[in-house]
Amino acid sequence: MSVRLLPLMLLLLLVVFARTARADDDEATLFAHATQALKEGRAGDAIASFEALADRGVVDPVASYDRGLAYATRVRIGAEVPGDLGRAAHGFEETRDLSHDPRLIEDASRALVIVRSEVARRRTRAGQPVEVDPGRSLGRAVAGLLAEDTWAGLAVGASALLATALFARWLTGSARVRVAGGVAAGISAPALAISLAMTLAARHDRLELREAVVVTPNARPTDERGIALPGATPLPEGARVEIVESRGASSRVRFGTIEAVVAAGTLRDIAR
Amino acid sequence: MKRLLLFLLWGLLSIVPSVASAQAAPQLQAQTDVDTVAVGDVVHLELSAQSSDGVPTEPQPGGTPGFTVRGQSSSPSQTHISINGNRIDHFGLTVDWTLQAQRVGVFTVGPPSVLVGGVRYASRALTVRVVPAGQAPQRAPQPTPTPFPQGPGFSPFDPWRSLFPGVDPNGDERGAPSVTTDPKLALDAPRGAFYFLHATVDSTSVVVGQQVTFSVYEYLDESAGASIEVDGADVRDPSAAEFVKHALLRDEQQALMAGFASVGGHIWKVSVVRRWALFPIHAGDLEIAPMSVTLLRPRSVAGTKRTTEALRVHVTEPPGAGRPPGYALGDTGHFSLAAQVTPRDVEQGGAIGVHVELSGTGNIPASITPPARTGVEWLTPEVHEQLGNVGHDSFGGKRTFDYVVRVLRGGDMDLGELSLPYWDPDQRSYVVARAALGTVHVKPSTAAPSASGGTPDQELLAGLPATRDVLEGTAPTHLHADDRPLFWLLGVGAWPAAFGIAVAGRATGRRLARAWRVRRASPATELRDRVSAANTASTRGDARALDAAIARALETATIVHAGVNVRGAVGDELARRLEGAGVAREAALGVAEILRECEAARFSPDAADASSARDRWLRAQGVIRRLEKR
Repeated sequence: MSVRLLPLMLLLLLVVFARTARADDDEATLFAHATQALKEGRAGDAIASFEALADRGVVDPVASYDRGLAYATRVRIGAEVPGDLGRAAHGFEETRDLSHDPRLIEDASRALVIVRSEVARRRTRAGQPVEVDPGRSLGRAVAGLLAEDTWAGLAVGASALLATALFARWLTGSARVRVAGGVAAGISAPALAISLAMTLAARHDRLELREAVVVTPNARPTDERGIALPGATPLPEGARVEIVESRGASSRVRFGTIEAVVAAGTLRDIAR
Repeated sequence: MKRLLLFLLWGLLSIVPSVASAQAAPQLQAQTDVDTVAVGDVVHLELSAQSSDGVPTEPQPGGTPGFTVRGQSSSPSQTHISINGNRIDHFGLTVDWTLQAQRVGVFTVGPPSVLVGGVRYASRALTVRVVPAGQAPQRAPQPTPTPFPQGPGFSPFDPWRSLFPGVDPNGDERGAPSVTTDPKLALDAPRGAFYFLHATVDSTSVVVGQQVTFSVYEYLDESAGASIEVDGADVRDPSAAEFVKHALLRDEQQALMAGFASVGGHIWKVSVVRRWALFPIHAGDLEIAPMSVTLLRPRSVAGTKRTTEALRVHVTEPPGAGRPPGYALGDTGHFSLAAQVTPRDVEQGGAIGVHVELSGTGNIPASITPPARTGVEWLTPEVHEQLGNVGHDSFGGKRTFDYVVRVLRGGDMDLGELSLPYWDPDQRSYVVARAALGTVHVKPSTAAPSASGGTPDQELLAGLPATRDVLEGTAPTHLHADDRPLFWLLGVGAWPAAFGIAVAGRATGRRLARAWRVRRASPATELRDRVSAANTASTRGDARALDAAIARALETATIVHAGVNVRGAVGDELARRLEGAGVAREAALGVAEILRECEAARFSPDAADASSARDRWLRAQGVIRRLEKR
């Protein structure tokens, strides 16, 4: 490399680092303004700043948590805008998914219960079903019991045990060893099947599953053409749904046992 | 007396110029043929100038707001009178401007003017009212021309001229004056005969929420001379589903004259039939589907459709960099905010009025977010709007929001400020329109002494946890065990695979051994062994052993290649068996002969002849080959 190019490259590096540093600084300033506004009860300003942070691609459990609090605060001070409860729930759900801090997860869960209780109270008044959180399916709940890597380790262990047992049963002439090998194979085979299935389920959830929160008070299920289904109950605001398929202006979602098409604008994706 | 003379002189000096100027000023008279016309109709503005000092020239119509000048005709005249040697000259000029009304309103036209002796003289301005198409009062019928018209317009060189109304002295038709074509309206080629539609957008690349002005023009072939009729029941409007649409024409049923265009060597009259302000609602390549009409006349094209082009607009989002907090996608244009707060003094728990005016051009946002803060409750506002076309083809206007705001806390309450961030497409930057609301003095309420926001509403969402000040940061993404192919290959698959391979290997070994054994016991293998033994015997020179080996090789060859066991067969029986199995007679006889010779040599009491035995072996090999080839 020529000596003349060296200063030029240094200058270029300096510019790149300066830009990155400025962007980080902007985001930190924005977060500081947002939290300050939230503490002073200026919920509108806080929401604007938190949303600007989200627009800039900042994905952080604390930012999501504070954003949820900002929306909840706007409801609490009587300046509610339709959808605030749903957006608050979205912030808390996102926090639970993103955070590794048990205390933050606990706080977010507590706030989520408060917000969903309010939604349930309003739905009760309106004579609508109050189920806001149907929970996960059995398979997904089981897969969620252990970490994906743990399931993977179990699968490796079960696989090794199964092979060893089969070899022992096959090669040995001792009756005791053959019985022991048969028992071990009988246990390890289903264990391998279950751990493999759970590993695949956890992997699928990690890579493929898209979830969202309903952020409007009336997310009415529609048919494929977007026409509201007669008699269908709106999905509750703040409900966590699984996005089965996205089709531009609409999305097919699963909420408990219900599968429905809703307008895409009624949902907000949970960041991962 | 001297003073009187001076006074008279001054009086004369002051009077003479005014008299002179009075003589020089031409007599001007301006008028219109009607005072109320409909949009698209024409009105004639006529100026008559008479002067004795010079020829009136360079007539000008003056201002014509709301109208377009479509033509002009001039009729100059001169009169020379000589009385007792005194010559009196009169010069006249009558000018007729054809004006076409473009939009509804009351307009002041003129004042028309002429130039006489280097000085421009203007007549009076005239007022003309333009009403929507079809609403103009009927015009008084034109007087039927007499067979022998007289008057200022009569020309002895063209006595028939006045029999054809609309023909001016220059020979041009009044209804179709020589027109000026607009190059902007020109096209490479007509899109249809007699009549066609053409659609345009003012921009094909915009950001979300930025106005795209979409126009549909109809082109009418003026020179075709055919009456053109469009089926009013089969007009299909363009479709722009991915845009917010606002019509910019007041009346879309009435085409608005746009001018004349030269297309394909013809002069086409061009009118605007649709003009919309379109605001894209999301990013992407958005389509504006075509408009179509069906022609009824002329008969040669009856039933054919005329459609516009399908247009695509590339829509992007404004840049993320520098986007201000609170910006909502689609807020694009030029906006301004103004707010009034009344009263400034209020009792705690009382209400104040906040009047907010949001104005500008673009798709004016339908709502604004009030500055929510503790102790201030903004009730749903009453919204009024005055929206429409601003200027020629921009959409805009204003929306007003009248809020009732309850103030629940005492003291000086800062209401904050209203803000509306938007993207300015001209400056290509974000701008924030702001309106400060100021402070309200809240006096303690006598009716609600403890009302420091202590309403039942405060119980709403009680028990929310505290905020966090420090970002947690994103956990570093790590590769999971099952993301690696090695995990599936070695971790999970290798163990059962090893067992499977072992089991399969053993089974395969057994199968191979069995196959080997079977192969070893086959007649073909036996034949090879026998041939090999015969070769060995031939090499050793043991004639008897060779003959025995030849006999065994031939017997095995017949089994392998002909499927016939010839052991025990003698004489013709052997040959018959082979022929019965499809062996050629020559080969069958050869086998029988060699076997007989071998038999004879083996059991002959004489010493065996090795060379004869070798010769037999050579012949036997030939026979075996022939058996193999059959």
